[in-house]
Amino acid sequence: MMLDRRLIKNFPYIPLLITLSICTIGLVNLYSACYPNELIVFKKQIMWVVIGTIGMIVMSSIDYKVIKRYTTHIYLVSTLMLILVLILGKEISGSKSWLSLGSLSIQPSEFAKLSVILVVARFYEYGFQKEPYGLSDLVKPFIFIAIPVSLIMLQPDLGTVLMILTIAGSMILFMGIKTKSLVILALLLLGLPYPSWKFFLKDYQKERIKTFLNPYHDPLGAGYNSIQSQIAVGSGKLWGKSFKKGSQTQLRFIPAQKTDFLFSVLAEEWGFIGGFFTLLLYFLIIMWILDTSSRAKDIFSSLVSLGIASMFFWHTFINVGMVIGILPVMGIPLLLFSYGGSSLITSMLGIGLVLGIRMRKLPVLNEEMEIKCIS
Amino acid sequence: MKEYRGRFLIATIVVVQAFFILIARMWYLQILRGEEFEKFSLNNRIRLVRIPAPRGRIFDRKGRELVVNRASFDVYVTPSEVKNIEQLSTSLSNVLGINKDEIKDKIKKASVENRFKPALIARDINRNQLAFLEARKSSLQGLSIEVNHVRKYPYGKLGASFLGYVGKATQKELKLYTDITSNNIVGKSGIERAFDSYLRGKDGFIQKVTDALGREVKNNLFNKESIARNSIPGADIVLSIDLDIQKAAEEALGDRAGAVVVLDVRTGDILALVSNPTFNPADFINGIDPLKWKELVNNPYHPLLNRATQGIYAPGSVFKIVTAAAGMQEGVITQTTSFYCPGRYKLGRRTFKCWKTQGHGWVNLEKAIVESCDVYFYYVAERLGIDRLAPYIKEFALGVQTGIDIEETSGIAPSEEWKLKLFKKPWYQGETTVTAIGQGYLSVTPLQVAVMTAAVANGGTILKPQLVKRVLSPEGEPIAEYQPIKRAHLPVSDKVLNTIKEALKGVVNNPNGTGRSAKSDKVAIAGKTGTAQVISLGKGTHERHQDHAWFTAYAPAEAPEIAVTVLVEHGGKGGAVAAPIAKEIIEAYIRLKEGGNV
Repeated sequence: MMLDRRLIKNFPYIPLLITLSICTIGLVNLYSACYPNELIVFKKQIMWVVIGTIGMIVMSSIDYKVIKRYTTHIYLVSTLMLILVLILGKEISGSKSWLSLGSLSIQPSEFAKLSVILVVARFYEYGFQKEPYGLSDLVKPFIFIAIPVSLIMLQPDLGTVLMILTIAGSMILFMGIKTKSLVILALLLLGLPYPSWKFFLKDYQKERIKTFLNPYHDPLGAGYNSIQSQIAVGSGKLWGKSFKKGSQTQLRFIPAQKTDFLFSVLAEEWGFIGGFFTLLLYFLIIMWILDTSSRAKDIFSSLVSLGIASMFFWHTFINVGMVIGILPVMGIPLLLFSYGGSSLITSMLGIGLVLGIRMRKLPVLNEEMEIKCIS
Repeated sequence: MKEYRGRFLIATIVVVQAFFILIARMWYLQILRGEEFEKFSLNNRIRLVRIPAPRGRIFDRKGRELVVNRASFDVYVTPSEVKNIEQLSTSLSNVLGINKDEIKDKIKKASVENRFKPALIARDINRNQLAFLEARKSSLQGLSIEVNHVRKYPYGKLGASFLGYVGKATQKELKLYTDITSNNIVGKSGIERAFDSYLRGKDGFIQKVTDALGREVKNNLFNKESIARNSIPGADIVLSIDLDIQKAAEEALGDRAGAVVVLDVRTGDILALVSNPTFNPADFINGIDPLKWKELVNNPYHPLLNRATQGIYAPGSVFKIVTAAAGMQEGVITQTTSFYCPGRYKLGRRTFKCWKTQGHGWVNLEKAIVESCDVYFYYVAERLGIDRLAPYIKEFALGVQTGIDIEETSGIAPSEEWKLKLFKKPWYQGETTVTAIGQGYLSVTPLQVAVMTAAVANGGTILKPQLVKRVLSPEGEPIAEYQPIKRAHLPVSDKVLNTIKEALKGVVNNPNGTGRSAKSDKVAIAGKTGTAQVISLGKGTHERHQDHAWFTAYAPAEAPEIAVTVLVEHGGKGGAVAAPIAKEIIEAYIRLKEGGNV
């Protein structure tokens, strides 16, 4: 029933192909960044891509109505994992974000992005009529967002907190909010930095914000990354220095070049052409998800797609923006591209969700047409 | 979702604009300023050069330098910068005396791995070689010379066994200490390892903008300070060791294989710790030569083993101190109990001999200790039984770790449960008999014997043997101070202890005492000899089959200050071989105290 012939016929192959292309480009650059001593990292990522692809296809075969029904369960499990990671997690460079499963480590905060998207979409499914929303109408989604956000704050993983807030914020903004409420929220957000600087931020996070304001102040800190990354990108010129020939990459000038700065390897070794082409692929996939969202037959699936589109959009914009020196250095990976299993699987599950929604949208259009004909 | 059409339009505009910004910035960096950045990345390279932090120094208790640092000039070649490999390797070969093809191979191999990374060609070149290369640096493209700190040992092998050696961090150590890189030198044994986190310091970085010729370049694109982070030198360690006594102890032991421990009985301070044969720590400073390493590891005398803390030996008659104390404390003998020694002792069908085959005749406790009569203690063992004797072994600090900060072995304190657990066999009475004279399963380290001797001397307090007195910051401020630590008290009454101390005086000062060769006319010495059987069957003249010689002593006998324990491997009789060594060391201590030279 779930995978009848019509669904297979409607399967959106092109977006699937784009997704896998991005993963492949990521792998090629990861290979160069790891060469020759850390190829084990490359091999691990291949394994994650295979697992992610299977997860994506399985996800697309599940009817999103089923997912809607289990949204609360998904949210609870995800929150439970966030609590678990605070108790059992292993600490890597100052934050407790990883859960060990044998030899593999997963990052529950990555999966929390999806569960927050689902739970916010679910909220609007029931509150459709009362637009635009005031603050008092939005208490429920705020609580849903606040729980995982505060748990991730405790790890602390500032990048993911920022991403969840922007993704959920995009969804809430999209659904409409009273101007007065928006102003209050904006004031609240502007007032937040001072107490968080004073009480919540760890020294290394403060350091990151400081170097954003003056990147040439500490050439060895995050500002150093930014300088080296810009040299890498710039020196790639139009055609790049070609595979494994980037001096910035091979000299290991950029400390996080396998993860958050992998895009700099692409820009150095494949030049403007390579970077442009890859960004084009991201653009296409985001536009396709937005298109799916606009054509979806109900609020839930539309809003889930919108959330996933905004997840890809913000990750791409912030990560690439940071690599090319227009945004501060933050621990935000480029989805489908950077090394890291949890973020890769989360993004592929997200794409899988949208594929499933896309496949099941056509019958509704027919229904709508029928209704039109009758009226 | 028609009612949202306007909003989707806005979303699309946001996405398109954002991507436009990204592409525009990439255009700016890669197309408009690409030439500039390319030049910067290829010709005007920013190089992060590590400024290695000098390791902390190690001093003796009077502030004399035992381990310090010196500069080592190392030759590197960066493959990507080499213009003429033939010319470069010929020149280097001539100056350094290394085979030309070997140098070429190294450069080629490095070029395959990472052509931008400087490859090490030679370490620690001498002044003449340095001057020669510095003068020709500009014509030898790709060559660079880096300064490193390496360990220097002003006294050579002195104290190597407890000072330890250093080496490049292994994968395991990289995991263990989170703040080091694979270039770091870490302590591998002894004080160097135990206090590594204090000694290590923190490396700094210098940022150099250089051109392809290795010349520094001023660049206006990224104008910043050149020192990114200063290095922080490691903290210095002040040991409890006294250089003069250490020297005296090493000289007294000479070439013989064995160990010496000298303790201050009042504080637990280790004044000297000798293990011979030992290694030369200078062999390790730049990574040890594989051949030398193999030789050290395969050497039958195990020079890397610290005999004083890791070597385990049967205590022999030295253990009679414990048997005598246990016997008196448990009430199975008194000061006046006598037994007849005919030179042998029968237990069932087995016969145990006394070392003096003709026998000691009637012996009381004092005579038994002074003349080290085995048969006397066979009788004490018979009356005590292993269950009452065994607890005293550990309570006298034998067969258990002493708590010293460097590597140590616990040895074996046997008991009925211990044997049952390990061998699944019951305890035999004959085993109690041999345990009473320090043979059988019993095995101890020289340090444990020294700690026990110090406890007997100071009135019963078992102290932690301390190697380190304090840690000093690079500015000379104390960071940590180590006070004497009392670990336990001997489980015997003062009366028992005084009886034993009286007898120990007799061992050295009585004309029949087994330790009479330690008798000194400068200071009253008390002690106990021991001869530990090595292979009970294969007794012979061959050196490897001779017994281990023990002597443990303290002085002055009336107001003890130091304890000295000497073990000579395969040395034969303790009284003949080990006792004179201990006497020499004690006399050196007294001369030193009186302000004279050693």
